[in-house]
Amino acid sequence: MREHVLTSLIVLSAVLASVLLVTLPVIGQSPDTKSKKSTYTPPKLPWGDPDLQGLWPGTDLIEVPLQRDAKAGERTEVTQEEFAQRQAKAERTAENDKVAYVAKDSKVGINPPGYWLEHGKPQKITSLVVDPPNGRIPELTEQAKQKAAQAKQAKQGHGPNETWEDQSLYDRCISRGVMGSILPVIYNNGTQIVQGPGYVAIRYEMIHETKIIPLDGRPHPGSNIKSYMGDSRGHWEGNTLVIETTNFLGDKNGIGLNGGGTPHSADMVLTEKWTRTGPDMMEYTATINDPKTWVRPWTIRMPLRLNPEFPLYEYACHEGNYAMFNMLKGARAEEKAAEEAAKTGKK
Amino acid sequence: MRKTFTFLSTAAAAVVCIPLTLTPGKAQAPTTPAKAVAKAVGKGSRMPDGKPNLNGVWEYIGTANWDIQDHSPAPGPMWQLGAIGAIPAGRGVVEGNEIPYKPAALEQKKKNKANWPADDPEAKCYMPGIPRATYMPFPFQVIQSNKDILMAYEYASANRLINMGKPIEAGSDTWMGTSNGHWEGDTLVVDVTGLNGLSWFDRAGNFASDKLHVVERYKRRSNDVMDYEAAIDDPSVFTRPWKISLPLYKRAEKNAQILEFKCVEFAEELLYGKYKKQPTSK
Repeated sequence: MREHVLTSLIVLSAVLASVLLVTLPVIGQSPDTKSKKSTYTPPKLPWGDPDLQGLWPGTDLIEVPLQRDAKAGERTEVTQEEFAQRQAKAERTAENDKVAYVAKDSKVGINPPGYWLEHGKPQKITSLVVDPPNGRIPELTEQAKQKAAQAKQAKQGHGPNETWEDQSLYDRCISRGVMGSILPVIYNNGTQIVQGPGYVAIRYEMIHETKIIPLDGRPHPGSNIKSYMGDSRGHWEGNTLVIETTNFLGDKNGIGLNGGGTPHSADMVLTEKWTRTGPDMMEYTATINDPKTWVRPWTIRMPLRLNPEFPLYEYACHEGNYAMFNMLKGARAEEKAAEEAAKTGKK
Repeated sequence: MRKTFTFLSTAAAAVVCIPLTLTPGKAQAPTTPAKAVAKAVGKGSRMPDGKPNLNGVWEYIGTANWDIQDHSPAPGPMWQLGAIGAIPAGRGVVEGNEIPYKPAALEQKKKNKANWPADDPEAKCYMPGIPRATYMPFPFQVIQSNKDILMAYEYASANRLINMGKPIEAGSDTWMGTSNGHWEGDTLVVDVTGLNGLSWFDRAGNFASDKLHVVERYKRRSNDVMDYEAAIDDPSVFTRPWKISLPLYKRAEKNAQILEFKCVEFAEELLYGKYKKQPTSK
């Protein structure tokens, strides 16, 4: 009897599971995040929330392009041949990193030697953008195109170091924005989650940011409060942490690496989802919805690996921004030298 | 047999639940057990593991950031601001009100004060260090987990993680230092080393060096007040250890939260103004 009941239960669960599988993509938030439904159940915190805590650096993904090579079309994974090329490249890089001294005939440049930079692991995914299906950032709206043209024009005839404002918000050590803070770059990719009852906090290493996300359903502040990192509210959908961020400063940071790319508007709504898919894997997606800037919403997906050994350093960017002093001083010195030269030339 | 029934009713319940779960509107609803959270965060003064619950947005009320010692009111550096820019009087937060400087260090303190505000790292938007971060006129939020404790300060987006596990050695000197915490009864004791000594204690120019060692003690007096102590030791600057003590108040607004205060933009003219091509008209 019992066996029979159990069997029916197993059958029933199988039926339910398939119902869920079939139905979920249809009712899911975004058809774009073709996430394979995770069967992994994360450990729970003493107060009942799923435990997402730990260091989830994006270092593995450094070499994955944000946008897919147009030639790859809708192909989300590289071919075996392409993967072999990626592996070979990684091996060459590792070999180059072993070089202790620069070659005698090497030229002096401003970039650090190769071994200063962190390297990822060869990945099969073709891009971080997963929606639109071609893995490309959607077209800008007419309004955004005009803005970009105006911004370009405003820079015409303006030297690169007339004022600190000629530099990016990243080089000024102000902020890279939410997405610029998590997209993998050349170093200091530390992203750390700490949870307290009713709150999730995410620390981003470079420049140093902390995003605190209340989970109690309180509303966002009014639109007079705007910030680079925006205002975040979160809730759980099953074991997935869903974060909605609004109240952004517009026309500042973009969605690219280190906050580069076309700046988003103040009306952007960013929806991030954090789902643990295994003991040491996290699926992270971010959907950018900013109808003033892009003709359609788009989504970035990153598989992040837990790395308890990752050393997250204090990134005192502004405090050590000697480059800003030097760039401005250098430009003034050059101008003075040119002035002197002109005078002597006249005499 | 009874067990079988339980199985069956569970299955039945699951079946009943499914249509609800699949309703698109419902998918958005927060699934955090609201009651459990309220219990832990709101009224609960203890974490599930029995440790005091320090979670919340905290702020000091007082004038310690102007001067950690007793001080009279004084005019501010900009007459244009009128009474708005004046320095308020305040009772000190140093136990015994005396900072035991060595003679050379006392001279340096006076120099710092004379060169305020230009030399104050706060004016430059540099990270405030410990203990100054605690009593700046900005709130900070404690995120206390079942493991480590995060302190996020509104000023300059400064933050630090207090390691509650096996103590770690400071890898290098930093502005916010390396924090190792442990509980002594109901007191959170945080040992801070690896401070770079570039921060000041206040706008009066009180300072220490990179030999600074701070031991902080956080203890809840009630649900809304927390006693804070910072024992200061730096043999290269002071003749003996000394102590700061002050209360921290919980921000009781329902919508209390840390907002963004990225002050770099407000300090760039001060730092780089003289290297600009077209100087800003004053």
